[in-house]
Amino acid sequence: MSGRFNRDPPSSASSDSGGEDTVAPQMDEEESITDHGEVEVTSTPNSPRPPSAGPPQTPTQGALRSPRTRRQRSTSQSQPSRSREPILRGRRRTIYTAGRPPWYDCQGQLVEPFVIGVCGGSASGKTTVARKIIEELDVPWVTLLSLDSFYKVLTEKHHEEAARNEYNFDHPDAFDFELVAKTLVRLKEGKKVEVPIYNFVTHCRETKTKTMYGANVIIFEGILAFYSPDVLKLLDMKVFVDTDSDERLVRRLQRDIAERGRELDGVLKQYFKFVKPAFDYYIAPSMVHADIIVPRGGENEVAINLIAQNVMTQLQQRGFKLREKLANTNFGMARPSSLHLLPSTPQIRGLHTFIRNKDTPRDEFIFYSKRLIRLVIEHALALLPFRDITVETPQGIPYEGKHIATEKICGVSILRAGETMENALCEVLKDVRIGKILIQTNLDTGEPELYYLRLPKDIKDYHIFLMDATVATGAAAIMAIRVLLDHEVTEEHISLCSLLMTEQGVHNIAYAFPKVRIVTTAVDPCVNEKFYIVPGIGNFGDRYFGTEPSDQ
Amino acid sequence: MPQNNHTLIITGKVSVYFCLTLGGTQKLTACYHFRSTVVISGHHALPLSPCLPRPPQEFDLGVESQLQPVEGFGPYFKLIPATGQVKELQTIIRDRNTSRSDFKFYADRLIRLVVEEGLNQLPYSDCTITTPVGCQYQGLQFVKGNCGVSIVRSGEAMEQGLRSCCRSIRLGKILVESDLETHEARVVYAKFPDDISQRKVLLMYPIMSSGNTVIKAVNVLQEHAVEEENIILLNLFSTPAAARTITSAFPRMHILTSEVHPVAPNHFGQKYFGTD
Repeated sequence: MSGRFNRDPPSSASSDSGGEDTVAPQMDEEESITDHGEVEVTSTPNSPRPPSAGPPQTPTQGALRSPRTRRQRSTSQSQPSRSREPILRGRRRTIYTAGRPPWYDCQGQLVEPFVIGVCGGSASGKTTVARKIIEELDVPWVTLLSLDSFYKVLTEKHHEEAARNEYNFDHPDAFDFELVAKTLVRLKEGKKVEVPIYNFVTHCRETKTKTMYGANVIIFEGILAFYSPDVLKLLDMKVFVDTDSDERLVRRLQRDIAERGRELDGVLKQYFKFVKPAFDYYIAPSMVHADIIVPRGGENEVAINLIAQNVMTQLQQRGFKLREKLANTNFGMARPSSLHLLPSTPQIRGLHTFIRNKDTPRDEFIFYSKRLIRLVIEHALALLPFRDITVETPQGIPYEGKHIATEKICGVSILRAGETMENALCEVLKDVRIGKILIQTNLDTGEPELYYLRLPKDIKDYHIFLMDATVATGAAAIMAIRVLLDHEVTEEHISLCSLLMTEQGVHNIAYAFPKVRIVTTAVDPCVNEKFYIVPGIGNFGDRYFGTEPSDQ
Repeated sequence: MPQNNHTLIITGKVSVYFCLTLGGTQKLTACYHFRSTVVISGHHALPLSPCLPRPPQEFDLGVESQLQPVEGFGPYFKLIPATGQVKELQTIIRDRNTSRSDFKFYADRLIRLVVEEGLNQLPYSDCTITTPVGCQYQGLQFVKGNCGVSIVRSGEAMEQGLRSCCRSIRLGKILVESDLETHEARVVYAKFPDDISQRKVLLMYPIMSSGNTVIKAVNVLQEHAVEEENIILLNLFSTPAAARTITSAFPRMHILTSEVHPVAPNHFGQKYFGTD
């Protein structure tokens, strides 16, 4: 009874909330300078499969007092779990392809993720089934939510019972189904959720929580997954894993005795006192709710294949071709009032002349774009509300001045081009917080995809300066705004700052999010077939960072 | 309303700008705008009618100004727009409880705003360039041959702001000292680029209470054959008295400031350089 592991091992997919959110695993990037001086980025996706959805991770995992297993916890996964490498390699370019495609329509409205419920007796192989479904689906942005995270906090009396193996962890009363339903509803709404981390030694919830956000498919698994009617009606597909009870007992004995060093008597006592009755009274009868019953658990590849195929069909029906739609939407109307265009002064026109010119060398491009960025940021700041204050001056007279009404301002840059604007924000606001969102265009579909996200914990209280250097169709910006709204940022508190936009982009964003303030230095008429702005500026990120393809 | 050459410009803000140019001078001198409903063009800043007279070479069709002339100081004395943002920067600079590090940080920001506006006064010409997408862009190009001149000491605080915008601009200096007894300003030192008479001069001096120092400095520039209309004075705070003195002494000099207020924050140089 070593009890060495008293907490979940950190999952790479969904972070423990130490103050930051993560939804995507960090990619291990190696930069190597090729002989032409170009930087090539190669990537090894660090987790070929979700770590916590795998089999028990270490044989040294100590036995815990709890009768429950500690194998799987809730995870979010933002990469396909196997096979196809999520990057495209060109001759000189490497492009990641496994981001999250749009999960909302072109009005910025949300489309619900698909929720699969997996139920079955203890040691029936629910996790294996869930994992195999994820593998078979091979889609990014899958969230696995485990009922185990929702054990109730034990009272002192229950603690003593648990210590004597007399607390019934298999009874419905042991779970907080209200919180389960609340969490699932929020996940379905696409909102960020804080999933509790249950400590099986202290039987308390950790003060930390696991932040989950952004799922196209949610798998909810647990022995009593079908018990609560509230939860049941949130499930789009219900899968029951039906494994022979002898086999389940054998697995349980193996797991508890061989891997956790527990006594045979204790395991059997618990099995007959709690586990088996719970199965007979609560779990087995819930089989009637199931759409699909999978015999023999994870070994049943035919069943898993069928499930995956069905889910894929459902996902395709919900799929979007957003950018094309955005580019073709025709708005024959006046510019929206949320657009704040900088006055076209000689300096701004002159700066545009420098950075739009294809022959401008990179150092000048960087210098002049920085100047232009500074002007955008200053202009956007001037649009914020200010309140009147009176200060004392060294000259002895009071001075009627102004002070910014909101102190909490946070920059969020849309990688990669948006990052170029962070510095200007830091130059005008001391100690400003900076969040990042990585959105890349999938070259196969032309759609923007969300890859990575890191935002301050309390972002909902902030006024956000969302930064992207250029906005063509507005697809990436709309995705980023959607992400912020999902994190409960108020729409009025978002200022989108960019150097160059198109008529279309302005209208698309203003149409989807009329309260978002749009600040830019120029609006160009249209985009070309490659979604580049015309006359435009070229690929801003490539020109700024020097990663233009060499064949141009 | 007086008008000779006028151009209609349509902007996203549904406003019409009548931009006047006075015969002979090369500058955009005044910008009146009216809030009114007009036809909205999908494109930005297009001339409505091709038969309008072509404005002087430096005046581009798509250019707007956001500067406001100040009542009573002539057409060349202008304020940068008094946004809440600018007001906040002024408040921080004036607040006696502002720490030195904050003071310098926010003073530099205000300086940068004034400098950016000042650069808008420089001459330029139209040009067309090709973008990486292969399209033409009607841009403009600033004419080379400008320089900055700072009045020691507080004017030097503005040099960095200018250098941040123009990396390799030439900088001259003038040291003007007040006689302790007579309070008369006198020039102690001046060093300029050789060809300063051929250049536009951005004269930098942040605080004007009486205007005497600036008058001395402009006199020195004129001794070096700099034309009055080629001088653009960049200033942060001016008193009405100083504004009157300078505009009557040099009616054709361009002056740009952020605030006209009876009490000038005279502690600026001391606090910026930390010698208080």
